[in-house]
Amino acid sequence: MTENSRTQIYELSVNALVSWQAHSLSTAGSQGTNRLLPRRQLLADNTQTDAVSGNISKRHHAALAAEYFAAEGCPLCPACRVGDGRRAAALIDLPDYQALSLERIVRECALCDAHGFLVTARNADSEAGTAARQKLSKTTLLDYTYALALPGRHAETGQLHTRVGASDGEGQMLMKISARSGEYALCVRYRCVGVGADTERWQLFVKDQAERERRHRAILRALRDSLVSPDGAHVATMLPHLTGLSGAIMVRTSVGRSPVYSALEGDYVARLRAMTDETCRIYPFESVDAFYSVMNEFIATSVPATHPFWKGEGTGSDTQGNG
Amino acid sequence: MSSMSSAPVMPAPGPATVRLALIKTGIECYGLDTVREELFPILRSAPVRVRPPERVAISQHLLRGYKWREDKAKRRTVQESIMVREMAHASGPMTVYLQVPQAYERRLSVVLRAVGYWGQSSSLACCLGVREAPPVPGECALPLTLLNGTISLRPYFSCLATEFRTDRLSWNELVADDDVHSTKALRLDVYIWPMVTEYRQGTQKLLMRVPLAVSAQ
Repeated sequence: MTENSRTQIYELSVNALVSWQAHSLSTAGSQGTNRLLPRRQLLADNTQTDAVSGNISKRHHAALAAEYFAAEGCPLCPACRVGDGRRAAALIDLPDYQALSLERIVRECALCDAHGFLVTARNADSEAGTAARQKLSKTTLLDYTYALALPGRHAETGQLHTRVGASDGEGQMLMKISARSGEYALCVRYRCVGVGADTERWQLFVKDQAERERRHRAILRALRDSLVSPDGAHVATMLPHLTGLSGAIMVRTSVGRSPVYSALEGDYVARLRAMTDETCRIYPFESVDAFYSVMNEFIATSVPATHPFWKGEGTGSDTQGNG
Repeated sequence: MSSMSSAPVMPAPGPATVRLALIKTGIECYGLDTVREELFPILRSAPVRVRPPERVAISQHLLRGYKWREDKAKRRTVQESIMVREMAHASGPMTVYLQVPQAYERRLSVVLRAVGYWGQSSSLACCLGVREAPPVPGECALPLTLLNGTISLRPYFSCLATEFRTDRLSWNELVADDDVHSTKALRLDVYIWPMVTEYRQGTQKLLMRVPLAVSAQ
């Protein structure tokens, strides 16, 4: 990375093996019992393993990213400013957002731009007096896998907790919550090139490259933090002990995908390394601090790539932008 | 069949998912105009066959879902409910067979290599290679209408999958512009997969690839 002070990244993937001890980051609910069930996934070799939902990891990243966007001075829409999970879909009833367009949402909200949104289509209703609405959407730039524990490398301990009911009549309740520990394979893919753009038609909306770089830095910082400071369910009293983080970051510098390969396979770093070429680079890390350093270097030196269709577009300041 | 609150999984993507992924990725690689004018006429009509991975394990997950509703007083309230999502874990590569004219081979190879997911964006995938080969007989999913009663369906996994309504579908039928209302571009067919259930416990099941066998009758 040091040979080029401004590394253009088209797409990046984190292929990691994370060790969490005594956590309950993602559960499958109680199903009407007093036992909180862990999330489980059947693997193709017929072993059942522990899992942490990708939804929870993605939500954690979005919350962190919103803070970093605010700190970087990136715009946020009124919904994302208050953590409304509907994002742009929450704006449609506001008087200032009646003529909502994809371009406006992407330009005016860095979180809707990064994590995607969906404003559903609606037919006109003469009785209710509502007009027809076109579907507006952008797919997320960050894709998360489920974190899956390596078979034979995870364990579960049932812990008895007491919980006070909501009213006097409910009294004290006994709850069984499992504390789980294990080594988890986790992949995250970040399509950097899509920052500030429509990724269906490949139109650049945020033409101010400096604003795209601010958004990109905030996304990377949130990605770094989400792995070195785990979050999810039950962290108030069962914050996981993070005891290991290793793997490889794959970087694609021009059009194409950065490979993802799961740490469920023991030779995943070797397989990823074998896929490197002039536009696909590997940055392996063997500890949490090595990962932190690599991510810091990306934050300091990388920029979101410019798609070949936008050559000459994303250079100067955005004359229509407010970023 | 999936709905807002329930989404069963298929062992591998169906033909319409393959076509749509190639169109979406094609736009990224070659631009909207090139895909609409040159690649789309090929992709809408190219025969597609999908050979599923050797083993696919399916687990059902309960997720928390939120829905915003408007009451009679036009107040918007959030409702919490349970959503069911199936997740699949596969072992072995999936193969997509796409029959295209030789003149398009190079460009479609680039597109195939650039596909990062099929269907759901959380189903991360990467292309291991593109080469010329005919489909392995009996190892690809087939629509029920093509089987013509020659195969005993009983042990095999079957589900509804989407396909383009016609091989002459127009671009505007598929990609609705601002002024054009979307039309029914896709149809549902019953597909038979060369997979049988090897193991089942509760809501979890393990499917194993077994070639579709011609019935003895």
